[in-house]
Amino acid sequence: MEVDSQEQLQRKQSTYLSLDENFEIQKEVYRGQQYSQIYFARLHMMRTLLYSLVPNWKSHLPVCTVLELKEGKECIIFGTLYKHMKLKPCILDEYSKERSVAPLIKPHNFMHQDDYLVLEDESGRVKLGGTKLSPSVYVTGVVVALHGKETSAGAFFVEDVLEAGLPPQIKRPLKSREDKYVVFVSGLSIGRSSSNPLQFQLLVDHITGHLGDEEEQGLAAEIVHLVIVGNSVEISRGLLNGQNLASKDQSRLCEPFKELDILLTQIAASLPLDIMPGSSDPANFALPQQPLNRCLFPGSTTYNTFRSCTNPHCFELDSIRFLGTSGQNIDDLTKYSEAKDKLDFLERTLRWRHLAPTAPNTLGCYPFTDRDPFLIDSCPDVYFVGNQEKYETCLLKGLEGQLVRLICIPRFCETGVAVVLNMRNLECHALTFGTQISS
Amino acid sequence: MSQIETLGILEEIQALVSDKLQVVSYKWLSRNFLVSSNVAKRLLAEFVEKHGSGLEVVYSLSGWLRDSPSNYHIQLVTGPKLSEAKQVYDGNCRVHVYSVQACIPKDLAALWNTEFIQAEELFKQPTSVDNCLRDNRFCGISNSFVKRNVDGTPAKVATAQPNSVGISGLSIHNSAQFSAPLPSQQNKVQQSSSKVAQKPPIVVKGIKSDSISGGVHDLATKPSADKEKNTPFPSNKKKGQNDKGSTGNGGSLANFWDRASAKPKTCSAPADNIDSIQNSNDAQISACEAVEHENSDIDAQEVNFGRASNSEGNRKRRVVLDLSDEDEYEDAVNLASPDPPKRKSFLGSIQNSKTSVPERPDVDKPDKDEVTVKEERTANREPNRSLGEETSLGSKSTNGKNSSSVKLESQLPETDLKKDKVTDASPNSPKRRKVLKTRIDDRGREVTEVVWEGEETEVKKVESDVPKKAGSGATNATTNTVANTNSRYAVGTTAPSNPGVKTGNKKAGNAKDPKQGNILSFFKKV
Repeated sequence: MEVDSQEQLQRKQSTYLSLDENFEIQKEVYRGQQYSQIYFARLHMMRTLLYSLVPNWKSHLPVCTVLELKEGKECIIFGTLYKHMKLKPCILDEYSKERSVAPLIKPHNFMHQDDYLVLEDESGRVKLGGTKLSPSVYVTGVVVALHGKETSAGAFFVEDVLEAGLPPQIKRPLKSREDKYVVFVSGLSIGRSSSNPLQFQLLVDHITGHLGDEEEQGLAAEIVHLVIVGNSVEISRGLLNGQNLASKDQSRLCEPFKELDILLTQIAASLPLDIMPGSSDPANFALPQQPLNRCLFPGSTTYNTFRSCTNPHCFELDSIRFLGTSGQNIDDLTKYSEAKDKLDFLERTLRWRHLAPTAPNTLGCYPFTDRDPFLIDSCPDVYFVGNQEKYETCLLKGLEGQLVRLICIPRFCETGVAVVLNMRNLECHALTFGTQISS
Repeated sequence: MSQIETLGILEEIQALVSDKLQVVSYKWLSRNFLVSSNVAKRLLAEFVEKHGSGLEVVYSLSGWLRDSPSNYHIQLVTGPKLSEAKQVYDGNCRVHVYSVQACIPKDLAALWNTEFIQAEELFKQPTSVDNCLRDNRFCGISNSFVKRNVDGTPAKVATAQPNSVGISGLSIHNSAQFSAPLPSQQNKVQQSSSKVAQKPPIVVKGIKSDSISGGVHDLATKPSADKEKNTPFPSNKKKGQNDKGSTGNGGSLANFWDRASAKPKTCSAPADNIDSIQNSNDAQISACEAVEHENSDIDAQEVNFGRASNSEGNRKRRVVLDLSDEDEYEDAVNLASPDPPKRKSFLGSIQNSKTSVPERPDVDKPDKDEVTVKEERTANREPNRSLGEETSLGSKSTNGKNSSSVKLESQLPETDLKKDKVTDASPNSPKRRKVLKTRIDDRGREVTEVVWEGEETEVKKVESDVPKKAGSGATNATTNTVANTNSRYAVGTTAPSNPGVKTGNKKAGNAKDPKQGNILSFFKKV
């Protein structure tokens, strides 16, 4: 009937560029290959890189392969780390005739003080000794250069470690910008019985400009993009036990999607949005997860603002590079190594220049034959991970002037917290929603 | 908004809240009365002022938190808690009425429920309707760059154009920006399947469908392959109907290949014929017959039917046949796959003049040692062959990869052939005849069997129109081997619940035909 006669606010826009081709597997052909090729590709790429860094590090030492090691000779070797973990679950344990006293229940973290590291290249492996390299920090799959010498016991005594370090960053054009915000939210878990739909509706209302007065809507008009970082739906486990579903159960199966689609329609009608798959979403298990099928969102896909993206997801907004995952890589690191907080893990993956070093060892991964898509070539400006316990953020500065905003996005259904990033100065703040109405 | 309209709406709200006990939120109000959200909020505020007593009001507060300055907090509070809630905010927080209801529900989601039902109603309207949910017209922010594609195809994801702000309102694109081109192969598949269907019962219907699916790849890349696909079917059928060649080919696999190779070996006249009449079933059939006739005199020959890998989409089949020692292939399985016409033309140099009696040429002329019927099969490979001989077309791979077990030797020019069907053939013997029998089995399915009449019979059972499930091919292998070695009839029976497999399994049932003899005789024989 009547629309406000006053002038409506205009939503800001920014140019979007998707860089997800690396993570798509449509062109890959599975010929029954195993994972050796992806490891080889990783080793090859990283070794070339490390080799170029060695002259700046210790130029006087010779480089040799593992087999060429001679006792007492100081040299540099390149290879992939392998961490031998006593508690790492092994499928064979389930079948062993003599079950040990320790139950098969998996602990949250598989570290043990007896874990040790091994370096492996194409020629062979060598056990690593010394205190420089702490097994609790490293995980299988990291490619490093080591300076040391072989001991009489046949192990390699490590004197120094060279990691690849932060990748080079493309400098952003320094033009004065206005405030433009990107909102990150993850772990909506629609369909979980404990999720509160009112919270997400409030978020939608706020972003789309319904909630609040004009001033608040002015703030909302500066939001240019929304990224939903995985785990948007949760299908109750009882429905997925492999039995045929009765017809009434089938409707329960798709109710979360319908609800999500209605909510996404409201969002897509207002601003561009990216949705990434997560571990609980109906996408493939192995990384890189492929985009959620558009048929799941019949209402939202009609909008040109709706994008279904891969996990990991890489894109550029106004030439600011964003890179992030839905959390599987960091969760895996949490299980097999330790750090003081999740941001530490994020930083490590950047320093190792690899999004998911534990793939394919303990993290499901597609057996690529000619490349490793998780290698980080260029340092992002914003590096995020979703589905974490709490909101954390920090600004990481690199040796060559790189500046990265690290963000841990909490699960929205549990915390009601979304993250807002200002693209002008890479400042972050939280957007929290509370519906604690006690009568 | 005029006074009267306002009053009217307020009264309606009163009725809804008090009488119907509905939760009236500002968004619900805006969508229901088609006013913008801001107006709806004002209306609600007015309502609360006038009639708010006795009713519960939920307010929405938003602002920066005092304690954590980088936290913009939005919360819903009830009336009594409003002042207390304001304290946590740093400075002024924005307040407005969120909803009005008779009482606060225990489950907060109930506050959202009415609104969601309304949203759902709007969502379910036909896609061509542009309602307030779909264009978000009542929000406070306009967004001209959002476009919605109405005709169902996904709208092209646009990068925002900074200079498009000037366009007011939303524009809806009715033109399909993405039209998914129907893969031409699908059409061809339809064609070929319909063509095939027209034919009289074909030996391997199951394979047919599989081959179609497998052949889709081919069809896409090689249009001529379509014709080839068609021709194999009649030829296959023909083979089934014919006796084994009189040349005494031993192995069934070799049989088939021989026959296949014989086709190209036929005189150029039929070859030409074949080429020109590729599309005609009858012609194909006759061509096949001609080929088969001529097969009998073929000595050791090598036929190359190379089938390239799927990824190249260039399927060729290579058959290296040594046709001289047919007799050694008593255990060979006849893979009666259709002969593409190209092959016929290719092998047209080999002439074989046979009588017009449709005899199944003994295709397994190739020497046992040499028969390298290498067939790089596609996913349609019939895995149901008894590989009792070296010429194992071992590629039962269902992933369409080249998995031929036999090494290709010949370097004869390869043609694009699709070996789409494979039928098990019993070892060749001059006296055997392959006939097709169709009957309805006890489960109501039409069963087409390839039956060897004569010394040995082989049964191949094809179930048409049966939903393909991966069936237990338990009896099949046995059947094949039995058929291979038995010198009696082996009439196919209905293999219990063995529908054709999507991946191209063929079913062959073992008959319990009394004439046939005991299956155990096979084991004894071996």
